[in-house]
Amino acid sequence: MDIFQVSDMKEIRGKVWKFGDDINTDLMYPQICYTLKEEEKPYYAMSANRPGWSKLVKKGDIIVAGKNFGTGSSRPAADNLKNLGIACVLAESINGLFLRNSVNSGLLSLGVPGISGRVNEEDIVKINMEDNTITINNDTIKFTPLPDFLMEIIENGGIINILKNKKLLGNPL
Amino acid sequence: MNTIEKILKNHSIDKPQEVSPGDIVTVNVDKAIIVDMAALHPEFINNPPIKPFDKDKIAIIFDHFVPAPNIEIANRVDKLRKLARLWNITDFYDIGRGGISHVLSSEKGWLKPGSIIANTDSHTISTGAFNVLGRGLGTPELMGIIATGKTWFMVGNTININFENKLPEKSSAKDIFFKMVEQIGDIPNDNIEFHGEGIKYLDMDQRSSISTMCAEMSAEFAIFPFDGILSNYLEAHSIHNVNPIYPDNDAIYSKTYDMDLNEIEPMVAFPDRIINNVKPVSEIGKIEINSAIVGSCANGRLSDLKDIAMVLKNKKVNRNVRFIVTPATMDIYNEALRLGYISDIVESGAIVTNPTCGACLGGHMGVSSENDVVISSTTRNFKGRMGSPASKIYLGSSRTVALSAVNGYISGE
Ligand code: SF4
Repeated sequence: MDIFQVSDMKEIRGKVWKFGDDINTDLMYPQICYTLKEEEKPYYAMSANRPGWSKLVKKGDIIVAGKNFGTGSSRPAADNLKNLGIACVLAESINGLFLRNSVNSGLLSLGVPGISGRVNEEDIVKINMEDNTITINNDTIKFTPLPDFLMEIIENGGIINILKNKKLLGNPL
Repeated sequence: MNTIEKILKNHSIDKPQEVSPGDIVTVNVDKAIIVDMAALHPEFINNPPIKPFDKDKIAIIFDHFVPAPNIEIANRVDKLRKLARLWNITDFYDIGRGGISHVLSSEKGWLKPGSIIANTDSHTISTGAFNVLGRGLGTPELMGIIATGKTWFMVGNTININFENKLPEKSSAKDIFFKMVEQIGDIPNDNIEFHGEGIKYLDMDQRSSISTMCAEMSAEFAIFPFDGILSNYLEAHSIHNVNPIYPDNDAIYSKTYDMDLNEIEPMVAFPDRIINNVKPVSEIGKIEINSAIVGSCANGRLSDLKDIAMVLKNKKVNRNVRFIVTPATMDIYNEALRLGYISDIVESGAIVTNPTCGACLGGHMGVSSENDVVISSTTRNFKGRMGSPASKIYLGSSRTVALSAVNGYISGE
């Protein structure tokens, strides 16, 4: 997270993990995470609703979920998904706070109505960031992209990098 | 424009004539609130903002972990004390002086009608009771606001909820919220404006309980109108010169719902989620509990303590039940002491903790075990929220919690 990274995201391709409606932040980042070492935190993601899942996630995998993804608290839940290797979240709808946190952590999350009915677990999904389409097998779905200023935050690896570049952040307390 | 659009427009740095759904606005923030949890975000401790955009518009409040439950948290939050000194923050509320940020904000007069509040905690939507837009934000985003005084919002659609008539004696504001959820479900990115005759029967505690809980519908903002009740509250707290915002006559709402408050009975949310998971207590049969919790930003207010004191007076908490009560702020705690509520509660066999979020987030002061069946008037019942993921968390009003604590099973009357 400390390294300044600009990735040019033209296409994201990954294997799907499917989740249902109302997946909340406390499932992604249980309270115990707050005081764990950074590298241990991600392994507690979804440990209450899907024990063992976090160990199976490979870098570049994609989450496809139902309605209201990320409902809940302001905790850094998106960081846990990103640090597990999740490349993108696609959900029927996304909680506003989670979307902001996701962007600010440098994780792409997109609300794509209809997505969960058209994707199965382990499908390979291709997200084309240039023409705003998602391809699964032979099926193509158009999505509404995030506003440019939010994509810029994601491409910079999150808001902290941007604040650092603007010299707004200081020394450790 | 509706109320929410007007407040966003008034704060927009681009000074547009009008804003409407789909627009993105950059706004000036009137107050930025940092709670102790921010100290648990590594970036905040490692790279804090160099200086605040306006130190008098920043508040630092210890609430989630008061007092610190372990060494790690004690060390982390101590760094926030250092920051408060470094920035010379006047609105710094450490242990024994403040309480839960959302409730404290209203007592301190920061919720001036028509303003915009940013806070590191997700229940900042609670400000809506005061005709104020508030948003919970992640710590990294708040760091940006501390440095610049600005943030952005996407203008969402707004639904209109009309309250009619008066709530029956046996029911509470929390029950209104559960009935709303049953009717409407979740509404990510949409706003709520409350209107209707029924509002005049709801006091500030009740309105705050409802607006706070709207976070659980994933609403963006949930705002009440400015009226005599709010105006009296502000006067009583010496808050003058307010600039309330009213909707235009031709304000647009994407949908209107009517709710007859007179028909609302005590409700309960079943474990793990609220959405699609609420029922009237009268229809749930006998569900035994062994833990009862009253508190949180939604229901740790003076009226909650009064409700439970009335239930507990001259009664005993069921011997199979542990009952923990957490006032939301020191002012509420003191007032409840003065009015005798605290002794009614304690004499029944319940315990009263200091103001903190405590059990609500499973941090301390009532962490649930794998065998616990909890009835709680806090905000969330996510799996594992209050401790072990195997514990079962039911949510209800504070009154329902107290009745259940006495009976040993979930009871609405
Ligand atoms: S009381 Fe609960 S919901 Fe409210 S701010 Fe504290 S932890 Fe969050």
